[in-house]
Amino acid sequence: MSTREAQREPSEWSLTLREFFLGQEGVLVVFLVIAVVVLAFTSQNFLTSKNLLNQARLMTEVGLLALPMTYIIITGGIDLSVGSIFGFSAVMLGWLWQEQGFPLEVAIVASIVIGTLAGLFNALFIVYVRVPPIIMTLATLALYRGLAYGVSQARSARGYPEWFFRFGQEDTFGIPTQIWFFIVASIITWIVLARTPFGRGLYAIGNNVTGARFSGIPVDRYLLVIYTFSGFMAGLAGFLFTSRVSTTRADSGTGMELDVIAAVVLGGTSIMGGRGTIPGTILGLVLIQLLKNGLSLSGVKGDATIVVIGSVLILSILINNFLQRRFAQA
Amino acid sequence: MQPILELTNISKRFPGVQALQNVRFDVLPGEVHALIGENGAGKSTLIKIISGVYKPDEGTLRLDGQERPPFSNPREAQAAGIATIYQELSLYPELSAAENIFMGHAPRTRFGAVDWGRMRREARELLASLEIHDLDVNRKIGTLSVGNRQRIEIAKALSLNARILVMDEPTAALTEADVEQLFRIVRLLQERGVAIIYISHRLQEIFTLADRVTVLRDGEYVATRRVTETSEPELISMMVGRTVDDLFPKLPAEIGEPLLEVRDLWRRPYTLGVNLTVRAGEIVGLAGLIGSGRSELAQTIFGIMPAQSGQILIEGKPVRIRHPGDAMRLGIAYVPEERGSQGLIRQMTIRQNISLAVLRALTRGPFIDRQGEKSLAERMIDTLNIRAYSTNQIVNKLSGGNQQKVVVGKWLASQPRILIMDEPTRGIDVGAKAEVHRLMSQLAQQGMAILMISSEMPEILGMSDRVVVMREGRVVGEFSREEATQEKVATAMMSVENGASDAAELAVDGVQTGAKGR
Amino acid sequence: MAATSKAYKSQTVESGFSLRSLTHLLGSQEFILLMSILALSLVVYSDNPRFGTERNLLNILSNASYIAVGAIGMSMVIITGNIDVSVGSLIGVLATIAGQLAVHDYPIWMAWTAPILAAMVVEGFIGFLVAYLRIPAIVVTLGMMSILKGGLILATGGAWIYDIPQEFFLAQRQPYGIPMPIYFMVTLVILAALWMHYSPTGRAIYAVGGNAEAARLSGISEKRTLMTVFILHGFMIGVAGLLFATQFTTIQSTVPPGLELMIITAAVVGGVSILGGSGTVIGAMLGAILIRVIQSGMIFLNVSAYWLQAVQGILILLTVLADILRRRRQAASIGK
Repeated sequence: MSTREAQREPSEWSLTLREFFLGQEGVLVVFLVIAVVVLAFTSQNFLTSKNLLNQARLMTEVGLLALPMTYIIITGGIDLSVGSIFGFSAVMLGWLWQEQGFPLEVAIVASIVIGTLAGLFNALFIVYVRVPPIIMTLATLALYRGLAYGVSQARSARGYPEWFFRFGQEDTFGIPTQIWFFIVASIITWIVLARTPFGRGLYAIGNNVTGARFSGIPVDRYLLVIYTFSGFMAGLAGFLFTSRVSTTRADSGTGMELDVIAAVVLGGTSIMGGRGTIPGTILGLVLIQLLKNGLSLSGVKGDATIVVIGSVLILSILINNFLQRRFAQA
Repeated sequence: MQPILELTNISKRFPGVQALQNVRFDVLPGEVHALIGENGAGKSTLIKIISGVYKPDEGTLRLDGQERPPFSNPREAQAAGIATIYQELSLYPELSAAENIFMGHAPRTRFGAVDWGRMRREARELLASLEIHDLDVNRKIGTLSVGNRQRIEIAKALSLNARILVMDEPTAALTEADVEQLFRIVRLLQERGVAIIYISHRLQEIFTLADRVTVLRDGEYVATRRVTETSEPELISMMVGRTVDDLFPKLPAEIGEPLLEVRDLWRRPYTLGVNLTVRAGEIVGLAGLIGSGRSELAQTIFGIMPAQSGQILIEGKPVRIRHPGDAMRLGIAYVPEERGSQGLIRQMTIRQNISLAVLRALTRGPFIDRQGEKSLAERMIDTLNIRAYSTNQIVNKLSGGNQQKVVVGKWLASQPRILIMDEPTRGIDVGAKAEVHRLMSQLAQQGMAILMISSEMPEILGMSDRVVVMREGRVVGEFSREEATQEKVATAMMSVENGASDAAELAVDGVQTGAKGR
Repeated sequence: MAATSKAYKSQTVESGFSLRSLTHLLGSQEFILLMSILALSLVVYSDNPRFGTERNLLNILSNASYIAVGAIGMSMVIITGNIDVSVGSLIGVLATIAGQLAVHDYPIWMAWTAPILAAMVVEGFIGFLVAYLRIPAIVVTLGMMSILKGGLILATGGAWIYDIPQEFFLAQRQPYGIPMPIYFMVTLVILAALWMHYSPTGRAIYAVGGNAEAARLSGISEKRTLMTVFILHGFMIGVAGLLFATQFTTIQSTVPPGLELMIITAAVVGGVSILGGSGTVIGAMLGAILIRVIQSGMIFLNVSAYWLQAVQGILILLTVLADILRRRRQAASIGK
């Protein structure tokens, strides 16, 4: 027993080390270092705490959505409607406050509740009617965006009171306030995924949903939770976004699903399900944000940076496939 | 007469099992040659070799007397005039019957376009030649009955000019009327010189339909007989005739109070009013053919397909089981039939698989207790003698026997009082088999109630305190350890009287439940 | 089921056939769509007769044309069980290519054919990633969408293209008083319908979408079928891009928002099953017309056009639900 124990430990260690360097996270860290070095040399403005914190601020909204998306993609699903829920709840915030005269506090809470309900609506159809997630969330991508336009009639709401901007534009304990939301959410989602029966269940579902069911894992309940959670986070991100940009518009968050999915996939989560981590997703987020930052520092206009995100999405899946195939052989 | 197809010395090995060993088989033009054997005797491996799905490791194949290399893919077998009708039909539900028949080789016009008129006409002619006149070739396959779909499959085979037709359990899902019509069609084909390889568990059908019958047992050839020169008892004894060796260290255990009782349990279409009792310390062997509803019964008890009516009692108290979680809380564990798809998450590690069913109990606060998880896995590796270098090994890389032990370990971890084991030793080597059997004996001695589903007669007879036989969703026989013999159990499993009408009832039940929706 | 087949036996095959084909016709998605279009038009017309003017009706059809042409290819893609969300961006890029060629004095035929070729190349690339490298189509096209969209802005800055020679504007021509796009829509829908009905490859699309395993046994190559589908889809998107580019006198070098959704909605509402294996391009055309009728109707009934996208979402949802329930009923009715 004890001799076997002794043999086991080093092999386990070397295994995880190899996994790390061959796996997506290792590759990402290398890329990240290269990106930082290149950016630091090409632009003096890059390695300033002001720029870095600002980049983190900009990353928060996509980041909040990428956390539940990691869960969803690990189970082999997808949520294309996050950008629309994001826009819809932001619009509802402004509409409830400005047009319906609710107190702003109530409007904030209500908008997050609406986002959660929008996620729940997806979840119910995916779980109980068995509509494939791609189709369900593609339909609600149109539906929620349409509701955002319909309700607001494309009028933007502005003129929020000063205290409202504390969440999106000001600092708390020295860093932009919304980053605290992201930090807390990241830690919770990370621990839940890595350490709890729920997280383990998500991996089991993504690898073999029948096997998960036969092991007594409440598959339906777990799926309900994650798609609803995705809606909740979209609502929360919508609120932080409104606070950051001081205005709500019906087209807020259009195409955001792309940034979110790209970050998750770049972070090593397999689009086929079963593999992925929160730290990986965070690395993916940071890397994409650095790329965007680098491009804008070198004078590329904001809208054009999505070229990079699209390429990153496709390339990272190709690399992911390649790595996995090599791993399977090793 | 020269055989149209002749196979000799066919051997095929899969990891851990010798599926076929020196098997021979031949079929004459215009003959119905039945292939029988218990579950796992090697019938399906043999027909997959004939239809080009598997390549044999050894053996020769002669077509019209000409030796040729074995088929390397289904297309090759198809080109040689062999068509196979599997149980899960390979049709396109959203396309018309005519198109299903001709997909991939539709009649063309001069301009290379699909000639729909001719296709429909030829489809009708093909069906008419099978004396099927009441089937609209324009209907979507998805809207046709199982019997009609099968007729379309047969017509498809004929449209490819098949000279050899392999039918795998063709009557399994048919109503009585459909079975009759199928027999008529088979006779028509026979008259036209088509050779038919017919696999069935229903011995009565074989005596009505076949000319010759070949028996396989444990992957080996037993005998070929003309049906006129054999009898049911002889066939059964050839199928099961084995010496029960002492591979089964069944230890005497004290049998106590009933732990699991099932009363008039219904879950259509597979579980039709089942009564069953398993006592503490007892191993009940559940025998039956594939499709007799054994696994479905187990899954109903375990809550995967919850019961529609009837009662389940645990230690005499009625309980409700709506999903596996309920069953697990009541102390039931289910080692499922399909190791790969149901039993394991193969991409995950041994540790993660073993803890999967007990994660909730393995927590410290909200978190999984990693140390506890690891020591649980180590304990199971030691108890079950799983050969692995680490608890972090990916399960997929273990041998079949060790994988099975991981599944068993996963459920032992849940400390069940009632253990249902579905084909506990299928596809694993002899050594691992003996270990699993020894373990079952020990668990029974410790007072566990064990329900063992098995298709292997020696296992059933060797391990069970009591043998319960199911056929077509019902319990049709029960034997004590002393009473049970291979012949008695096999006869109950395959019993010849009114097999067809039961099937009809089964199919009708199926329609009713279907209509209610799932 | 046994009962129905017995009852059926008493009729002759011929009379059963005509009766069945009639009920089949009445229950078909195309018929339901046609009726919805007519009913909706009548409702709007009774409220506001100006909806019924020849000009408005032709306008609706003309505006539906490029959607319908795009939906032809999309239908094929969806029938095989895939999807393409990059078409909106692609059409934006194509319009710019066409406009730039025209404004820089290249021959008009070149300005017309270049976008079609470009679309076939792009979709061929997507098809390659999907068919041979087995990357899910949703991810590939999501990535492609942003590459095209961002690339367009990167290259042009979203500028407007003015002063294009008049003969470039194909979609504005009106031979025999009927807008040109309608000719394109009708011709291409008929050609595609014939091709999908009569060519072996056309049938293979349904086979691959319906049961890929069985298709393989019938000697149909899934990879080659998928490549053909994506390249043809590229051709259709190319034509749609051409019609889109030549409809107004200026071209903005940006991506028309929500266009991919409109094209997908048209295909799905037209009865193309997202579960694969069924659907027709005629349905897709009717789907495109329905969307434009709704859009126009909203204007005439003074309903804000901002609700249109929500209506599309609901249309997709309802069609998908109906499809899932239909298949479930069908599966249940045969017992297994």
